Amino acid sequence: MTPRTTRIVGFVAFAAFVVFVAVLPTFIGDFKAREYSYVGIYLIALLGLNILTGYTGQISLGHGAFMAIGGYTTAILMAGNEQFGGPIPSGMKDVWTLPIAGLVAGLVGLAFGIPALRLSGLYLALATFAIAVAMPSTAKRFEEFTGGGSGIQLFGTPELTGSISNVEIFGLSFSPNDWMYYLAWSIALVAFAVAWLILRGRTGRAFRAVRDSETAAVSSGVSLARYKTLAFGISAAYAGVAGGLFAIASAFVNPDAFPVALSIYLLVGIVVGGLGGLSGLVFGAIFIAFLPLWAQGQDLGSLLPDRIIQETQKPGGPAMVYGIVLILLMFVIPNGVGGLFRRIGQLISSRRYSRAK
Amino acid sequence: MRRRSALIAALATALCAMPVALAGSGADPGVSPTTILIGGTSPLTGPAASYATVARGAQAYFDSINAKGGVAKRTIEYRIVDDAYNPAQTVQAIRRLVEQDNVFAVFNTLGTEANLAIRDYLNQVKVPQLFVASGATTWGRDAAQYPWTIGFQPSYAAEGFVYGQYIAKTQKKAKVGVLFQNDDYGKDLLASLKSGLARSGSKVVAAEPYQVTSPDVGSQIGKLKASGANVLAIFATPTFAIQAFVFANRLGWRPLVINNAVSATSNTMSLASEGGKNKSIEGTISTTPLKDPLDPRWKNDPGMKQYRAILAKYAKGANPNDANHLYGMAVAHETVALLKRLGASPTRVGLMAKARSITGAGNPFLLPGISVKTGKGDNFPLQQGQLQRWTKGRWVPFGGLWVSKRN
Repeated sequence: MTPRTTRIVGFVAFAAFVVFVAVLPTFIGDFKAREYSYVGIYLIALLGLNILTGYTGQISLGHGAFMAIGGYTTAILMAGNEQFGGPIPSGMKDVWTLPIAGLVAGLVGLAFGIPALRLSGLYLALATFAIAVAMPSTAKRFEEFTGGGSGIQLFGTPELTGSISNVEIFGLSFSPNDWMYYLAWSIALVAFAVAWLILRGRTGRAFRAVRDSETAAVSSGVSLARYKTLAFGISAAYAGVAGGLFAIASAFVNPDAFPVALSIYLLVGIVVGGLGGLSGLVFGAIFIAFLPLWAQGQDLGSLLPDRIIQETQKPGGPAMVYGIVLILLMFVIPNGVGGLFRRIGQLISSRRYSRAK
Repeated sequence: MRRRSALIAALATALCAMPVALAGSGADPGVSPTTILIGGTSPLTGPAASYATVARGAQAYFDSINAKGGVAKRTIEYRIVDDAYNPAQTVQAIRRLVEQDNVFAVFNTLGTEANLAIRDYLNQVKVPQLFVASGATTWGRDAAQYPWTIGFQPSYAAEGFVYGQYIAKTQKKAKVGVLFQNDDYGKDLLASLKSGLARSGSKVVAAEPYQVTSPDVGSQIGKLKASGANVLAIFATPTFAIQAFVFANRLGWRPLVINNAVSATSNTMSLASEGGKNKSIEGTISTTPLKDPLDPRWKNDPGMKQYRAILAKYAKGANPNDANHLYGMAVAHETVALLKRLGASPTRVGLMAKARSITGAGNPFLLPGISVKTGKGDNFPLQQGQLQRWTKGRWVPFGGLWVSKRN
């Protein structure tokens, strides 16, 4: 395929996906729409992480902490922290907190990107891991700001759109679950398009050059410092928006809602989705959102024999299933779903090529 | 979307703004002619996975009732969803149980933070949050504000106060070092311990918090030892409590240890004793409302025989010495009693009314003399306990039953 046809196929596929996302809630139950909204939320975080890890080659084991920053920004702007003795009043509507959540997390990401310049590979992974580990304690330490271990309750606050009543917008009526779904997915789709725009041009080429060989990148005039910090900033901003949405969807934040495991799941998500690709990430997001449920036999009652379902519901069962599925997946599609897509694309184009000969 | 809006409009009543599909006509959600569905979360994985056995014990008890025909010709189906002790996952799982699975009631969800995260939601949609598996005081204290929520076990405030009074009575000028989980549960215990110590010569000299997500409590135990404390109070969940004993022993520290009830099952204590090699564990003080599976006094006790038989039959491979199973059965027993009182047509409103008027018929899994009671102005089902001392590999009770004076 020529680059031009590839691009046309890409546009058509994206348009088809947008339509699919728009009509999906009509075919699934009302509650399922809420669960699929989490897929959209994770997709945003994965897009950001993949810009950093898949495209720029900088491993982050701490993206859960950037999500936490976004989540707390949203929650504090909505509910305020005067109730704990903090300075911020309540009163910002949930949707408007999201750009600020992205901005705050992005700035923290930029700031973290500067010391991270001195680290590479494993050392960077460890440094980012440290933020993920430190985040819950930090949030509990500044109790008057974050509400400490009990966290911040958003359910039923006037700032939360559609706690339990329908949301009327543009002359349409959405159930709270549908509202959450469309909110998360419209932002996810925009985030997807923005990521594609960033990555296709000059910036994206610079990112890939840094990933493939730092020496070669520098000798071609790419500023390592500039692009590495930029990648950190963009990536953290994505995580911040995802974290803000996560807080709105859960209507609650507390430090344990952003455990170290979340950072690791995000990394698992981009590996399953395929490093250095965008479309596969949807599957990475589905994997993160649903595998913990499937691993304990939820929704699979009619597909699997009772005997197996019972095993998965024993203490420790879900974790074991999760591990086994992950190992199997890495054997079958080592380059993730995105890698599988590319492989199929290559097969098709090589067949065409040989036929043309 | 428009199609669903029409559906919702059809269903919407003044009472029910939530798009909850009603199961059958007239009956509350989760109730069919042959089954009654309840559900809750449990940490099957994650840092508090040792509590997963609570749900397993409850499940086994419901199965045994179902084998005898259930309650009012309905079998009780108990659906457990893993939340990995992460309140954000609890929120998702509970909404799934309420909105997708249409449970009649949310039962025995475990963890203080987890239950705080779902309380506003469940009270809005008017789904019972029955017998919360957490001892935070708020479940009983704030019953007027949250009529759909009720706790079960003795409150942490009552428990901490009992330890404080015990130290005040038996030790002169004790210096108490406290290891506590950095959340409401740990802080409730710490604050009430202090109030129990008030106006005695003893006082808390150091209090070290730990995070649920942290790998171990080694540095905290080191600091507490260095503070010169001669009493160590462990207000921690089982994994961390075991670590506390192990680290204290490695440091050669031999304080008088107070271990909170949530980590004081014989099973946890046996693990902490490292096969009898741990010297810091002997003489540990704790409290419980339950019979101890390892206590020879209960060898021929009908309740404990029933417990072992049910566990052997309906939870194959489960360790009967893990008293979390017993706690699960005790709470399941009370639930079955409630459902029996509800009779042939159970409603959510009726369930809460019955849960707030429990008259305290015996519970075969609790110590003799301890009863489950609620009523006007009393929203704490369990308010009694028994002090016990770990002696040569098992708990030995001492003193009479205590009744909580503080909630």
